[in-house]
Amino acid sequence: MLRILLVEDNELNRDMLSRRLQRKGFEVAMALDGRQGVDMAKAGGYDLILMDMSLPEIDGWEATRQLRAAPETATVPIIALTAHAMAGDRDKAIEAGCNDYDTKPIELERLLGKMQALLGGGA
Amino acid sequence: MTHTAPGSNPVAALRHDLRTPVNHIVGYAEMLLEDLTGPEHAARRAALEETLKAARDALNAISLVLAPTKDAVEPSELSGLYHRLEDPQHRIVEAVHALLAAANEVPTPSFAEDLKKIEDAAQRLVPRDRAAVTGEVRAVAAFAAGVARVLVVDDEAGNRDLLGRRLQREGYAVITAGGGHEALALIAKNPVDVVLLDVMMPDLDGLAVLERLKADPATHDVPVIMISALDDLSAIARCIQAGALDYLPKPFEPVILRARLAASLAEKRARDQERDLVKALGAVTAAAAAVEAGAYQAGALAEVAQRPDAIGRLARVVDRMATQVGEREARLRSRVTELREAIGVARQTHDYVVESVSDRLKAGEVLAGRYAIEAVVGRGGMGTVYRARDSELNETVAVKTLMPELVADEELRERFKDEIRLARRITHRNVVRMHDFGEANGVWYLTMEFVEGLTCRDLLDARGPLAVPAALAIATQLAESLIVAHEVGVIHRDIKPQNLLLDHAGVLKVMDFGVARLAERTAGHTQAGLIVGTPAYMSPEQLTGEEVDARSDLYSAGVVLYELLTGQLPCDAPTVMALFARVLGETPPRPATLQPAIPPALDELIMQLLAKRAADRVAGAGALLERLQALV
Repeated sequence: MLRILLVEDNELNRDMLSRRLQRKGFEVAMALDGRQGVDMAKAGGYDLILMDMSLPEIDGWEATRQLRAAPETATVPIIALTAHAMAGDRDKAIEAGCNDYDTKPIELERLLGKMQALLGGGA
Repeated sequence: MTHTAPGSNPVAALRHDLRTPVNHIVGYAEMLLEDLTGPEHAARRAALEETLKAARDALNAISLVLAPTKDAVEPSELSGLYHRLEDPQHRIVEAVHALLAAANEVPTPSFAEDLKKIEDAAQRLVPRDRAAVTGEVRAVAAFAAGVARVLVVDDEAGNRDLLGRRLQREGYAVITAGGGHEALALIAKNPVDVVLLDVMMPDLDGLAVLERLKADPATHDVPVIMISALDDLSAIARCIQAGALDYLPKPFEPVILRARLAASLAEKRARDQERDLVKALGAVTAAAAAVEAGAYQAGALAEVAQRPDAIGRLARVVDRMATQVGEREARLRSRVTELREAIGVARQTHDYVVESVSDRLKAGEVLAGRYAIEAVVGRGGMGTVYRARDSELNETVAVKTLMPELVADEELRERFKDEIRLARRITHRNVVRMHDFGEANGVWYLTMEFVEGLTCRDLLDARGPLAVPAALAIATQLAESLIVAHEVGVIHRDIKPQNLLLDHAGVLKVMDFGVARLAERTAGHTQAGLIVGTPAYMSPEQLTGEEVDARSDLYSAGVVLYELLTGQLPCDAPTVMALFARVLGETPPRPATLQPAIPPALDELIMQLLAKRAADRVAGAGALLERLQALV
């Protein structure tokens, strides 16, 4: 079973997305802020990270940069999730080291397509 | 729980706040739809699809008014948006109620729970509290109008939210940050007017953020108010030492919050104003320096000159003066050029002074073991002037020997020294610099700057009257030398063409400042009838032995200018007594009657300089210079 790390501070988003992913057969672990996300990711074992960008402690961009800088997480696929609140969020996410990007509200099929592409179709 | 996203302005925060509940509605509705596959769920599916449709309508309305590219929005647009969201909100709530109340399909607890989440999200779409809507609208308007921006930095979302909303209601534009790093990144991109900074934060604490803000020149002046629990006084003290302006204890007291913010912002405004003033003043100072260096670019002060305050006025004056100075300098240059040509002609016919038996020193002689006499360069009422080599300083100097009766006793010599000391205070390019006063082998002498050139007397003798521009070039420089001499309290008393040296570049050097006074004082001591100064150039008050002041030099300057232009003295006579009578009682002919090229303004100026009563003359050397410079 593929393990997904969902880094999201908003409780409802976390609840909703994790449940929908679990139904699709993923094992989902959750981090509540950027720092926790980095710590959990470094501890290892995740096939893909879904990273919200507006996070407390350290934001998604900074968390991604830290993950890319660490050898153990340098190659783990990361998909940025943004609220589309700011113009330029997408470029910023890619620049920080995210492999792909999706905006909220999440369209599950679209997100799954992006995840499959990064996971090599192995779900 | 809504989380206000960090953003550069309230529009971004609002966009985030409004989209988040819609995202929740869409997510849960889609998830619930995934479970309802069979035909028996048709009614539920229809209700959830209506929910999704309403949510998408809401999203479109939000995207339209609060597009990600926008960072300002009209308050009327915002009110309109809230109004437009009421319809989808209503549709969603109705759909949820219908689903919950459906008699044929009793919802499972989990299904009902998720529906409740959808309803809650819908309720958050439009604030029930109309005051909050007004607050949001006001904050957005404030930002658009450039009203004070406050950055709230707190790791606790609850505090951030509470403080942010309160400040928005107060009309501030609020930016929030959930941590120190985020706060620093935000400030780097968006200048703020005041920072409310939590002391205790996990990633980078308040003190560290404060220290970084104070270390950066760009943020050094931004007032910082620390937020802290009251029991953390030592941390607060450290922060105040590090440059925090004030602190705000938790829980917040709205009155105190309001007062401290207002005070900090007033201080920030004062500092900004001060920095702005210093910058403007710097521009004016730089412009003044450029004027002095001859590098002023017209219009360089245009921006500062637009200020309505005193600095703006100063800038306008400097600009006007600089322009005038430029014009005057161009005029002076052309005058000096003419003067140089006149000097060039005169030099060819100028006879060098030959040695005479009356000279105290001979060429080749060394005076005081230091000055090697080279040649006689002039003779005057007080002694002979030599060119000599100063072996100590290895430079050419002028040595003037003094007639023994001028320095007959100790008291006279002391007075002479006083005069020299005074005259030495004049440092100006148009004044011959005085060096020393001394005695060697019974010969009393003065040493001074040697000027290679000729006197105005030589020039007049060789060439006759000068053209107007050349005469003005001399008069202008003479006026400048008198300004500095009069400023330090030295009156020349013997301004005459013989004392006005011109070097080859046309630079005038006035010599013997202070020396005439000595001769004047000595007159009583020595033989009767010794004429001090040269009567034809002396003012009426000087001739009659009255107390003289700076205006006496102006009279003499008038005589010199008269002679330079016409080749004649205003008052001339074969005997001293006849001259006295003329100087005291007769108005000389206007110079323009003798030299028609003299413009009326110059003619008038000369007549004013020659006024019998000092009070009727031009007010001072400065006024004389201005009048000369203004002549076209």
